Order: sequence, then structure tokens, then C-alpha cells
Amino acid sequence: MSPDAGSIPAASTILLPREKLRDARTARTRQWLSFSLVFFSALSWVAAQPTLKAQVQDFENYSRAILTLPSPLPFSLVKDDNFLQVRIPTGNTFNLKAEPIRSRFIKSISWNRSGGVYIVVIEGRHGRFRHESFQVEKRRQLVIDFYEQAEPAPSAAPKPVAPPAAPEVPKPAPSREEAPPAQPAAQPARPEADVPRGVRTIVLDPGHGGIEVGAKGKFGALEKDVTLAISLRLKALIEKNLAYRVEMTRDRDLDVPLENRAAIANNNRAALFISVHANGSPRRKAKGSETFFLSLNATDEEARRLAYLENNSAQFDKPMDTSGNDEIQMILWDMAQSAYLKQSQRLAEIVQEELNTLLGTANRGIKQAPFKVLTGVACPAVLVEVAFISNPDEEKELVAPGFQDNVAQAIYRGLVSYIRLSP
Amino acid sequence: MKKKKKSAADIRRVMLAAFLAIVVLALAVVFFRSGGQQQIIAKREAPSEQPRRPASGPAGFRDVILFFASEDDNLLHPEERKIPAGASAAEEAAEVVRELIKGSNGSLLSALPAGTRLRRLFITKEGIAYVDFSREIASQPSGSSEELAAVYSVVNTLAYNFKPVKKVFILVEGAERETLGGHVNLGEAFVPQFSLDAR
Repeated sequence: MSPDAGSIPAASTILLPREKLRDARTARTRQWLSFSLVFFSALSWVAAQPTLKAQVQDFENYSRAILTLPSPLPFSLVKDDNFLQVRIPTGNTFNLKAEPIRSRFIKSISWNRSGGVYIVVIEGRHGRFRHESFQVEKRRQLVIDFYEQAEPAPSAAPKPVAPPAAPEVPKPAPSREEAPPAQPAAQPARPEADVPRGVRTIVLDPGHGGIEVGAKGKFGALEKDVTLAISLRLKALIEKNLAYRVEMTRDRDLDVPLENRAAIANNNRAALFISVHANGSPRRKAKGSETFFLSLNATDEEARRLAYLENNSAQFDKPMDTSGNDEIQMILWDMAQSAYLKQSQRLAEIVQEELNTLLGTANRGIKQAPFKVLTGVACPAVLVEVAFISNPDEEKELVAPGFQDNVAQAIYRGLVSYIRLSP
Repeated sequence: MKKKKKSAADIRRVMLAAFLAIVVLALAVVFFRSGGQQQIIAKREAPSEQPRRPASGPAGFRDVILFFASEDDNLLHPEERKIPAGASAAEEAAEVVRELIKGSNGSLLSALPAGTRLRRLFITKEGIAYVDFSREIASQPSGSSEELAAVYSVVNTLAYNFKPVKKVFILVEGAERETLGGHVNLGEAFVPQFSLDAR
């Protein structure tokens, strides 16, 4: 009757792990020792090279790159299309230490050498930019601000010319060692008032990617491809029409862990998080679109605790402070979305309405489900199941560019109404 | 002299006390450690030591309700089943899950992929049923609805039929897993969602 009784391990195998553990412990110690040896020798090698630290911070209408040199050195700036070269005539090669860059105007920072000149190459995100530079910290720090050039008349209010901005700059640079990306230390007490700032970020999350193909259609269409195609269209629409920056959790066929997707949203202080998926069902006839927001596996007691969090959600509007008690931080991170359920529900309703009207797809309504990708997101977040890839009719639609455009349009309109209703 | 003797006796007494303390400590460690293991062993062996299944006597059976997906709508539909009465809730729950895997006797749809096996099932004092499936449960590409149907057919069925089960934690090949196919979070125990059941 019980076919798997045979697969139950014998008692002896259960007692084994403790002995194994002891062996593993000594092995681990040895491993650790050799690892630290390698690590420290690598460290000393790296330390031998002078370090050039590069940091990027986003401000209201500009992005600031701060290069910290080991000593005051002469340099020249050369602009070439969407690249800005910082040319430092020196025989030294620096160990360029750049944090991961998530910025509106700066795409990447890299270096190369050419004929006795060390060159730091700053790549602008958009082709046209205007830059202003100045030096602080006894000329050890070079500060370069990147503005969009399309606006010939920059807004008068924040005019960060050298003198006023300078006192603000030196502080964050030397003191921060391993600050998490995209959390400018220049804004320690981020007031609630600056939430409706000029440009905020919408994070789009094309479901799956890489070896995680997601659901699969009869004709071979894969969820991961459909979600990416729709997300890219949605990105284009938002960037063309809204004053929002779009960050994608992936922009090609890439395997991105689910936690990282939430982290991308949180590190960018996303205003909204949209995860795009295509559905699969055991029912052949299942069709239509559904918009989900997170449900919590909460018992009564937990529900009370979460209700408290939801009513005291201000803490989640601030970027997470990763110092201090790690365990508490982990718990908060796990439950980050629980503070935004009301807004997420509203967003889901509006997006779903648009999907219904524009597409005329069968209304399956908004739903709650414990989706992993939503749990850690600290902003209103929804997961859109565009249509059923498991339904052959809908599979054909999902791969059609016209349909993908329509879906992107519908989600876009939903976003617009949501933003309008909740400033 | 007398004093010295006394101190020697003292030392002996102290040593004896220390010895006893160590013995007690060692015994305590052995007791608690092996206690935990015996519990696990007992639980594991429980199903295999039941050849004394109460044959086909009518008293030896129990009526249960299984929840399956359906072609009609997006809900989970009930189907009655008789299972042999077991010695414990865990034993019966395991049987119920095996029946779920076998699929519907009628026209309902099995939400669990073919080839899936139940490896183990146990219920903690806190009312969490740990259900350990073989890797087949997560082997094929699946969409959100498939994952939700798979998870909640198990969760709702167990919670519906077994009073002690308040939550269900799904394991794959004896370990925690993030999701079955990139959607539903398996990192937490599931609370039944009876709103998904057709009434």
C-alpha cells in the first residue's frame, strides 16, 4: 500500500550526521584557514596599488560622480559622445573601486590606459548630457555632475555650483566604506516631504529568465520570453510619457534570483513594482488576465502583528539600514510588502480594470497569492498574469507583437491612473 | 593534621560533587539528544510497522474529502474517498496525500504532476504538517495557477480532513525549496485558503 516505505532511510543513517558534523568542522576550519591565507595575500597585493574610489549619487535633476584619488593629481576632462573621459597623466595604474551603479544619468564607470595616461571613462545613460565639475578635499576629490542637456533652462531651485555643494560632498566619500548601492549618504534624514520628488523609479520585473523558463505553451512559447517582450514595451511607454525612471530586474534572457528582484526595487527606492508573468493552468480552457497582490500566510496572531506594521509603515519608506541587528532586519525585509498591501491592492484593481477594458480578455479579477517575488518589495507591488500560455489560443496571442503592445498599453494606463490617484 | 585530613575529605567531596555533576550533565545531554532522535525514528517507522492494517472491515476505514482542480472553473472541487484507518493522523494524512497524487476517480484534474511521490509526512505539536515530496513535483515548467492549484490542493485537503493540521509546509526531496517553478513561496507554512474550494 505504501510504495515509498522502502525509501525511508534506516535508523543508522539518522545517527550519522553528528559524526559527520565533527569531521566537517575540522575540514571547515582547515578550509577557512587556507581561504583566509589566500584572501589576505590577495588583499595585500591589491593594497599595493593605489585606490581610486568612484561613487555615484542621484539628486533631483542631476547625477553626481565623485572620484577620490589617493593624492592630488592633474587631470583633464574630454567629452566624447555619451562618454566623459577623466584623463590623468600618470604612470600609476589605480585599483578602481566603484560601487554598483544605478543612476539616472550615469550608466557605467570603467578605466583604461593609453600612452602614459590613466583614463576613467564615465558612460552617460543618455547620449546628450551636460556636465559640471569641481574639486574638493584639497583637490583629492573630483566631483562631476551630469545633467540632461535637453533642458536648456535648468530649474533654478537647486543650483549646485561648487561652493554650496562642496561642504556636503567630502563627508560621505571618506566615511563610507561599503555602503549599500544607491543609498546616497548625503540624505541621512530623508524627510517624507521629498517623496514626490521630480523623478522616481518604477521597477519592471519580467518574470523568470535563463534556465528558469516559467510556464510553457503547447507550441513551445516560453513564459520568460513573453514577459521580457511585454516588459520592454512597457518600459518604452513609461520612459516616453512619464517623468519616471524605469529600472528592469533583467533586460535580457538572464537568470535573476527572486530576492535580487526585490532588492533591485528597494535599492532604487522604487515607487512601484510590476512583475509581468504569463499564466499556466492544469485546465486547458483557462484564459484571461489576472492581477495579483501578495497574500500572507498569516494566522490570527501574525495578522495582528502585520496590521500593526501596516498602520506604522512609515519606517518602510526609508531605505533599510543594514547595520544593527541583522536578524530584525531580515524579518523586516521578509515582510516588507506587508506594509503596502492596501496600496498594492489598489494598484492591482486599477491595472486589472485597464486590462479588462483594453483587451476584452475574460475578467478573472484581482487575487491574492503568496508570490515569492513580491514578499520583500518595500513599495506597492503587483504581479500581472497577462494571459494563459497554457491555452493554445492565448499562447498565439502572447507571442504576437500587437498583443504585447496592447498589454503594455493597458498596464501603462493602469499605472497612469494609479499615479494620478495616489500622488 | 586534623585540619589537613578535613581538607582532604573536602577535596574528595568536591571531586565527588564535580564528578556527579559531570555525570548528570552527560546523562542529560545523552537523554535530550537521543530523545529527539528517537522521536524522529519512531515517526519514521510508524508507517512501516503497520501490517496490522484492519483488513477490509468497515470500521477500519475513514471517509475523507480530497480537493482537485476542475476544468469547470478555477476552484478546487471536493471528491469523497475512503482510506484505511491509520494509527495516527500523520499516517492517515500520508495516505490522503498519496490518494491526491493518484488523481481523481471522476473527471477532476490532478494538480500534482504525474510521477510525484510522497517521501514523508509528519505533523508537529504546533499543528504544522510537513509534507515532503519527491523532486517530480517541481520538475516541469509551470505557471502561477498550476503552482497555486498544486499547493492548495494539498494544503486545503490536509487542513480540511485533519483537525490537528493548522498549516502545511511543503518540502521537496527533504529540503526547503524557494518555489516549485518561480512563483509561489514555499519558504513559509501555508494557511489553508478555503475560499479556493468550490462549495
